[in-house]
Amino acid sequence: MSLTRSATPGPGLTAEARPTAPVRRRGRRFDPLPYLLVAPVAIFIVGLALIPAVFTVVQSFFKVNPLDPPTRFTGLGNFRALLADDAVIGSLGNTAFYVVVGVTLSTVLGIAMAVLLQRPFRGRSLVIAVLILPWALPGVVEGILWTGIFDPNAGLINSIVTQVGQIFGTGAGGTTLLLGQNRLLTISLIELVQVWQITPLSVLLILAALQLIPGELYEAAEIDGCTRWGAFRRITLPLARPGIAVCMVQAVIATLNVFDQPYVLNGAAATGSSITMQTYFISFQDLDFGQGYALSLMITVVTLIISLVVVRTIYRRVEL
Amino acid sequence: MSRPGARAGNTGRGIGVALTLLWSVIPIYWAVKTSFQTDADARANPAQYVPLRPTLENYRTLLTADSDVPGQIRRAALNIVVECGAATVVTVLLATLAGYAFARMRFRGRNVLFYAVLATMAFPPYTTLIPLYRIMSLLGLVNTYTGIVLVYVSGFLPLATWVLHNYFSSLPESIEEAGLVDGAKRLQVLWHLLLPLARPGIISTALITFLFAWGQFLFPLVLSSDLSTQPLTVVIASLQGRHVVPASLLNAAGVLAIIVPAVLALAFNRYIVNGLLAGSTR
Repeated sequence: MSLTRSATPGPGLTAEARPTAPVRRRGRRFDPLPYLLVAPVAIFIVGLALIPAVFTVVQSFFKVNPLDPPTRFTGLGNFRALLADDAVIGSLGNTAFYVVVGVTLSTVLGIAMAVLLQRPFRGRSLVIAVLILPWALPGVVEGILWTGIFDPNAGLINSIVTQVGQIFGTGAGGTTLLLGQNRLLTISLIELVQVWQITPLSVLLILAALQLIPGELYEAAEIDGCTRWGAFRRITLPLARPGIAVCMVQAVIATLNVFDQPYVLNGAAATGSSITMQTYFISFQDLDFGQGYALSLMITVVTLIISLVVVRTIYRRVEL
Repeated sequence: MSRPGARAGNTGRGIGVALTLLWSVIPIYWAVKTSFQTDADARANPAQYVPLRPTLENYRTLLTADSDVPGQIRRAALNIVVECGAATVVTVLLATLAGYAFARMRFRGRNVLFYAVLATMAFPPYTTLIPLYRIMSLLGLVNTYTGIVLVYVSGFLPLATWVLHNYFSSLPESIEEAGLVDGAKRLQVLWHLLLPLARPGIISTALITFLFAWGQFLFPLVLSSDLSTQPLTVVIASLQGRHVVPASLLNAAGVLAIIVPAVLALAFNRYIVNGLLAGSTR
């Protein structure tokens, strides 16, 4: 990965590294050191990741509700209740939209921007530095930033729309774009904000794959009379597939689990709520932990399945 | 090299780069602009695209006023720094030790443990939200720094361990062997020979962990019930819902919340890019 290599301050090894005979590992005596070194991580992972995950799986088949004790087995009761819940079904629809639109847009933009940055030019590293800003900022605060852009009165978009309208003498202000106006517009604007956040990582992942493509391939293609578009289709896209696959997987995970952007931009309103928001409401407002577990489990399973499908269809090991 | 095609390509790339930069900074610019306006100017219609009468009043209020909201923001800023700082230090320390052991030492159960750590990276972020809340509540750690830091560390350790494992693996083994021949103990070798070489990897891991922690919202929303532990993200989101807080003040608070990650991202972007790439090429 030349992007990685060129950017890493090369460790100055040669001075210390003198050739020696292979070190004899200590005999058969038990060495506790490696266990001591990995123990803290192991305890954290087992105690605060694996055991909780098992909890989520097991308890989704139980009625767990502090307002309705005791905890008892309900089989598929939680899942049945969830699928009969209009708010959950609505949020499933919204989330499907977030996934399809978010993954598509962030991948297309990611490819476009990565191709733009593929060849070195003056200031490229500065462009990359600015480009990753949206990735680095908290999603919640990005919601606040974009609220200012979408604001019906003083927002950037509506001000431009109004002024353009005035210049051309059409009905000024009549076409205010308002978050929450209708469901399609609401979820589109919410997802736009999330795409803004997740695209930088897509660009980086695809750009890293593009950096591995030797320039001679493009020169050979040009000599053979291949157009730029042809070179993009036949060289860039196929060779970028590993990067595109990873970028799509991260986008699937982010969009399927989105919480911050719809929560901040649209509040609890059903027009934009995501499945993760429903999990939060069900668990921490209704205190129906059993249903919360069941919904978490469903999100987890769906996320894993879709990620796997993406990897199986998009990923190709590239040999150069 | 003045082929017409090349020149058109350069112009096209210039436009593309300009659009990319605008796309990345306009929402940030708009919040910064609003934060330097009086509330009346910020609400003017049509909008003022630059602050015509710039003022520092919002920041003065946030940083010095005794009233309710500025006090909450300052407390939340302290909380987020403490929580992210502590989570980063603990994560990097533990991941360095484990990453070294996984990369360089042979021991029974190494592969099982390592794959168990990596497997948790496949979990979507909120799979364990409810059980973690209930565990913390059982331990009496809801609404404490400890509870939040424990959850952050457990969430970020897998990626950090993976990145550092890869980094240690990439260092030539001959260094350690030389050290061991000279009679140094394993930990001395790690401390004196490998850590200095692994410093770029450690810095990358620390930056990524810190930025991930700074962006957290749903976990602290659930795990901290009042202002004593709520980080800036949670408090700002709660203020946004109430319309009593003027937009200009809210935007100034938002700028306070993004200034730290933005400066880190701009100043150390190479380390961040390397860490992200090292962490996602699986």
